[in-house]
Amino acid sequence: MNFNQPVIPYNKAEFIETDTGNKVSRRATISGPQNIILGGKTIISSGAIIRGDLRRTGPGHAVVISLGRYCVVGEGCVIRPPYKLYRAGFSYFPMKIENHVHIGAGSVVEAATIGNHVQIGKNCIIGKFVIIKDCARIADNTVLPANTIVPALSLFAGVPGRFVEDLPETTQELVEMQTKQYYQRFQPVESE
Amino acid sequence: MPSVHYYCPCLSTSPVPPPPDLESSSYSFHELHTLYFCTEPECMAIRCNRCVSVEVNGYYCPNCLFEVPSASVRAEKNRYGACARNCFQCPSCRNTLVIVASDPPEGSLSASVAAVGITGEPPYFLYCNFCRWDSTEVGITFEKATGLAGQLQKTEETAPDVVEFERLKEHFEPFLRAAPSGGIAHAHSNPITSAASSALSRDISIPGLSKYSALLAGRRGGRNDREKAGTTSKDKEELAEFRSRWETGAGASVAEGEVDWIKHLEDVGEVATIEQRWVGSWTTSMRERDLKPLRIPLHSKKTKRCPQCRHIIIKPEQKSQSVRYKMKLTASNFVPAIAISVPPPVASTKAVDPNAPVTFHAGRTYPFRLAFTNPMYEPTTVTLQVQRAPLLKGRPPFAVSLPSPPFAIAAYAEAWEYEDEDEDMADEDIDALLAGVGSPSGYTQPREVAKPKKPKTVGVLERKANTTVIGGELVIGKEGRGDAKFNLLVTHTYQAEDTAAQEGETEEKSTKTPTSRQAEVKTFSFYIVIDLGVIIPREKEESHRRDSEQMSIS
Ligand SMILES: [Zn+2]
Ligand SMILES: [Zn+2]
Ligand SMILES: [Zn+2]
Ligand SMILES: [Zn+2]
Repeated sequence: MNFNQPVIPYNKAEFIETDTGNKVSRRATISGPQNIILGGKTIISSGAIIRGDLRRTGPGHAVVISLGRYCVVGEGCVIRPPYKLYRAGFSYFPMKIENHVHIGAGSVVEAATIGNHVQIGKNCIIGKFVIIKDCARIADNTVLPANTIVPALSLFAGVPGRFVEDLPETTQELVEMQTKQYYQRFQPVESE
Repeated sequence: MPSVHYYCPCLSTSPVPPPPDLESSSYSFHELHTLYFCTEPECMAIRCNRCVSVEVNGYYCPNCLFEVPSASVRAEKNRYGACARNCFQCPSCRNTLVIVASDPPEGSLSASVAAVGITGEPPYFLYCNFCRWDSTEVGITFEKATGLAGQLQKTEETAPDVVEFERLKEHFEPFLRAAPSGGIAHAHSNPITSAASSALSRDISIPGLSKYSALLAGRRGGRNDREKAGTTSKDKEELAEFRSRWETGAGASVAEGEVDWIKHLEDVGEVATIEQRWVGSWTTSMRERDLKPLRIPLHSKKTKRCPQCRHIIIKPEQKSQSVRYKMKLTASNFVPAIAISVPPPVASTKAVDPNAPVTFHAGRTYPFRLAFTNPMYEPTTVTLQVQRAPLLKGRPPFAVSLPSPPFAIAAYAEAWEYEDEDEDMADEDIDALLAGVGSPSGYTQPREVAKPKKPKTVGVLERKANTTVIGGELVIGKEGRGDAKFNLLVTHTYQAEDTAAQEGETEEKSTKTPTSRQAEVKTFSFYIVIDLGVIIPREKEESHRRDSEQMSIS
């Protein structure tokens, strides 16, 4: 329905579309792509940086960052796996982002896990090992310090981010519809 | 941005909403996704978060996510309704604190102290990895890295607010035990909250509580008048006057010391902000370095009931982080979703800020569109009726034209495809529909019917799957001003699911003329408020036109 849902146009030449419908901007920096999983119909916007190269030391390859279906990594976002310091050194840990997760432009994410139907606003800092449960929402410009836990269906905002209110019971359907529509509206236009 | 909000009549005794220009209007209208719907035949009504009654379904800590049984929340040991494990908030910035050992390794960055965790040596202390506050500043350390709440409890037990609360609880205990749990306010399952809520609705004078007890006792005995007289006097005797262990104005002596401290203060940062002290229920020190770590209050999952018929509207699953529901009656599943759009004037070439209000000029006519989306498995027929605002003086600032005949919206289908299935109704059908049913009131009469050359603006414009788009017109008077905002009564009629639901095309036909025999026809009406934008009055418009000579809007 393109009623008040106008097309979100993108330059066809800029994006690579995968077999599963992921759309990845050529202007995004995808480091260590062999360690990154995109679930399908996920959009990586221009200027985003995804650090799949920051992996635990050891042989073989390992999943560093996994993103589910219908996710959007906004323009200029940085997605970087969290690390821990030890007496002997330090190690990176994998990051898992579930389905229908939108991350607003300019946000930096070092979370451990982000659940389904999570909305993260613009210019947020999501610290190391943060856990965001299903259907939560992080308002624009929020800073979540390392190890913050965000319960399901709650809105966090501020610096440092704090609980503001419970989100409506309809959040899951609402976010699912919005993320699906966003993917449908995200359409190529031929470059001039 | 033009908007549509839905009415919940709970704030009023009338089912008709207040006119949109009244302040009270905005409190009565809500976004559709925040509303509930009671499906009981005697109700069939929209409910909102303000009018549903709420019961606690279960408690959990928002940090460690542990579920806490209701019984232990009420038990003495957990008197704060706070996490009784290891969860604390920073008193300075409200970030969650972490427990760290005293010997962070050489050369580690302070920001990563948290990550080092509890592998080091005791004593342990609480540390904020946002503002770097740590509990050694207030002399709080721990011998073990677990059971922190238990270790802190000893020092907390002597705090004046805790002592006072204990005494108050002791004082009211016999009274609360005697109060019938179900009788006072059935909206609350917990006898303490129910007593508290009745207390709030009464005129209570705290120092001499006898008045309070008499009133409550009187209410309790409502069933039997004779008994009531007996209990009233009896309870009066039983519940003695409460005397605080702390003298009124005990804070004054604390304040004296602080006056001296403030006199010699050199850095204002040493004074705790109001926000930092706000959570304390007792007079606390004004010094920032005296702030104690805060317990993390528990959160709850809530069951919601219809305020009228008591049926359950929302029942979440028990597990604290589950987002599933055993029962969930939200309005968006029963009421058509209505979206509005106001096309920008043709002449405008500039990119429109989507958040800027739409503006209209006095004396002109503007088209707008409403998209109705049917959430139900049954097709529905919708009728619209603009609510006329009571005229205070003179002419109305604007009039609204909407199609007055009923229009159909197809049923929602589970496997929804976005391909154009060309379900569009033939233009002739729409014209027939528009012409056939007469418009009762002059001012909702679609103008365009008379002038067939112009493209239609009022009527059904588009049908696509379970969405029907209709066009309307905003006609602004010469003296028009203020907000172009109006209430609209939406009536939708549908057949209850039990009959002939799988007949496809024939079913679709039958809803256009709703005369089906076997099916049970249900009708539900609700009000919405539509905010189209702001009218620019004539006098202002003159200057506005001079400013933007070249982008004329005809
Ligand atoms: Zn209500
Ligand atoms: Zn806890
Ligand atoms: Zn802090
Ligand atoms: Zn009801």
